[in-house]
Amino acid sequence: MRATAPSPPAEPGPDWPAPAGTRLYRPRAARADLAAVRAHVAAGARAAGLDAAGRDALVLAADEVCANVVLHAYADAPGPLTVDVAAAPDGGCTCTIVDAGPPFDPAGVRPAPADDTPLAARPVGGLGWHLVRQSVDALRYARVGAHNVVVLERRAAGAAPSTRR
Amino acid sequence: MQISIDQQASVTVVSVTGSLDALTADALADALAAEVRAGRTRIVASLAGLEYTSSAGLRVLLATVKDARQRGGDLRLAEVQERVRRVLDLSGFTSVLKCFPDLPSAVASYPA
Repeated sequence: MRATAPSPPAEPGPDWPAPAGTRLYRPRAARADLAAVRAHVAAGARAAGLDAAGRDALVLAADEVCANVVLHAYADAPGPLTVDVAAAPDGGCTCTIVDAGPPFDPAGVRPAPADDTPLAARPVGGLGWHLVRQSVDALRYARVGAHNVVVLERRAAGAAPSTRR
Repeated sequence: MQISIDQQASVTVVSVTGSLDALTADALADALAAEVRAGRTRIVASLAGLEYTSSAGLRVLLATVKDARQRGGDLRLAEVQERVRRVLDLSGFTSVLKCFPDLPSAVASYPA
């Protein structure tokens, strides 16, 4: 019997993109699903018209977010993962990632060390969210009911100046 | 993701093809750790066939560099693809890891 994908949680506010575009759903997401996530986001980004650099960036960001979900949110027990990819009206692309793990706000993640940090002082972890922020034009998070909702946005090349640091 | 290991005199060449992510990076970590543990600390990662890495792969490279250098060796990269290079740049790793445009020059960079 084919499981039906659950609807994502209701939109947290009027400025959130409507769930749309193409969806990847895994009821018990695991590390083995990351390749499928990348292929899904790459295809959606291509359909949205992003150039190669934009596609690569969005794919990396989505991989990092989903890896965190699988490794941390679902460390003790697998859970559902939804990845929606949609074209934005300005020619960019939006990727919405929903999980049912404990509350996790990316704003609370400690920033990666500066480039000139001596090798010995660099922590071996902590890079994932740094790469996400470097790769997207906008990163939004909301806790909606029992879900974490992360929205990644990559604007079309030549669009309004990005907020990427 | 495929790994092959080849010894060139005192330098160990680890060729990585495919994609490194949170699923596949562990296998690379294990392979590199085994080389370092065995005293083979002059390592070149040949990345001509590596099409993609996330932070999972970067973590493995960084841990190996630290480990190898602590034992008087190093991990150097050869033939890094543009997409992977971009991620290395974003992470600041290009200031830490020596990259070479081809395998022979990476191997030759270790003193004989």
